[in-house]
Amino acid sequence: MNQLLEKLSTCVEYGKVDLKSPYPPAMKDQEGAFELTRQALDAGISPGNILEEALIPAMSRVGQKFSRNEIFVPQMLMAAKAMSSSMIHITPYYLSGETKRRGTFIIGTVKGDLHDIGKNLVSMMIEGAGWEIIDLGVDVSTEKFIEAVGNHPGAVIGLSALLTTTMENMRRSVAELREKFPDLKILVGGAPVTAEFCHKIGADHYSPDPQGAVEYLKQLS
Amino acid sequence: MGYSRGAAPEPLTEVIGEVSEDLISLGDVRAEYIIFTPVKCNSFIKTVETEGVVFNVKPIIFSQVKKAEEVALFICTAGPEAGERSRRYMKEGDLLRGYVYDVIGSEVVENAADRMQEALRASVAARGMNITNRFSPGYCGWDVAEQHKLFSFFKDNYCGITLTASALMNPIKSVSGFIGIGREVIYAPYNCSMCDDKNCLYRGRKSTRSEGPDTSCTGFRSV
Ligand code: B12
Repeated sequence: MNQLLEKLSTCVEYGKVDLKSPYPPAMKDQEGAFELTRQALDAGISPGNILEEALIPAMSRVGQKFSRNEIFVPQMLMAAKAMSSSMIHITPYYLSGETKRRGTFIIGTVKGDLHDIGKNLVSMMIEGAGWEIIDLGVDVSTEKFIEAVGNHPGAVIGLSALLTTTMENMRRSVAELREKFPDLKILVGGAPVTAEFCHKIGADHYSPDPQGAVEYLKQLS
Repeated sequence: MGYSRGAAPEPLTEVIGEVSEDLISLGDVRAEYIIFTPVKCNSFIKTVETEGVVFNVKPIIFSQVKKAEEVALFICTAGPEAGERSRRYMKEGDLLRGYVYDVIGSEVVENAADRMQEALRASVAARGMNITNRFSPGYCGWDVAEQHKLFSFFKDNYCGITLTASALMNPIKSVSGFIGIGREVIYAPYNCSMCDDKNCLYRGRKSTRSEGPDTSCTGFRSV
């Protein structure tokens, strides 16, 4: 692989944002994801290649290490931060249509529930896998989920719930979404949610962590 | 957060220090209990009743509190700022600081609950009574919807906490529950085999707390 891309990939994996950033200490005073992405583009590497060969694989390694408990949330967040500094340079190509996303992922925490850390982590990792994220926030009504799916045909949706009481709202939202959009792929997650519950309410996939969702989406795209 | 001592990556330790100081200096932490007596325990249906309200605590908790003569109902909160600052920093792109506010917010409320529990223990000990562990709706089989029964004992906005229809407390960084009091109850070092929650993050893990035995299954042991 191109040396520049390799270096960029390492920066994202270890959360080296830019030249100024003192973290991780072993990479102090070195260029980070921000500068290297610019350089890669200036060297004529396409944004698509930068994503496919450096950024997405880096985030995938991060997701796998997190799944295996080799790293914890803080390192995942530092990687996401480095990734987003790369995206400052890449986003214009998305907006112009020159570079395509793998798909659109709509996510929200269900009605009555205000938890968002877990949902945010899932969003970041799916974004890091090359998807556009439509984050509806917390306490999202079924109507809002339905409206978002209507506005983004072909999107995949993810619902998060942290309490057994709000899992009931998840069940209702999934049932109504299913009725309106029979082919919609629905992912569910959150601490009390299980694969069994997912199956029972007619959702398509449950994952206890972001990486499982990323892998499921990979099969779809 | 999962790291063993000394293994946290930079700048985590520094951010934790700053955030802890900030949250403590806000002085929003509240923890209160109210003692009710008498208590009726029904061992057939595993319920605990006081003032006409019947808590369906299920077998695991019931076995710990069945000899209680009084019950302390409690609520504790780290205040609204932990959650709000967490959300704000995350939105602004300082993901790590936002996350640390979230985790430290949990730690702060958990510590407040520990201190409240210790104060209760000392105060009832003066009357020759012991306390049980603390138990929360949503743990050990006790339905989280029973939060509504628990909150019927507290005035609206008590400690600045309100309960939503879905049994969620606002502010997010809050905990609630009860502690049994009696001459014959005991404070049991917590044992995971008592609980049927196979998905619990803490299952089989030793408490990371340095002081004393494990706290009860309110799940609020250090992350
Ligand atoms: C820390 C914690 C607390 C803290 C902070 C809570 C907070 N929300 O900020 C404190 C101490 C305040 C607390 C309080 C309570 N808690 Co609590 N708490 C936890 C704990 C230990 C961790 C939650 C957490 O922050 N995890 C870290 C985040 C990053 O993980 P996450 O949100 O689950 O998201 C991950 C995955 O689930 C997944 N994911 C999430 N969403 C989605 C969506 C999709 C589509 C996919 C694919 C994946 C996915 O990916 C994320 C990253 O890996 C959990 C137990 C656990 N093992 O999870 C209990 C837990 C959430 N709490 C629980 C309960 C019951 C309570 C209380 C009601 C207890 C009480 N009576 O006081 C209160 C309620 C508070 C309130 N405001 O109403 C229950 C909820 C289940 C239930 N019975 O309803 C849990 C599950 C524990 C249990 N009994 O098993 N709690």
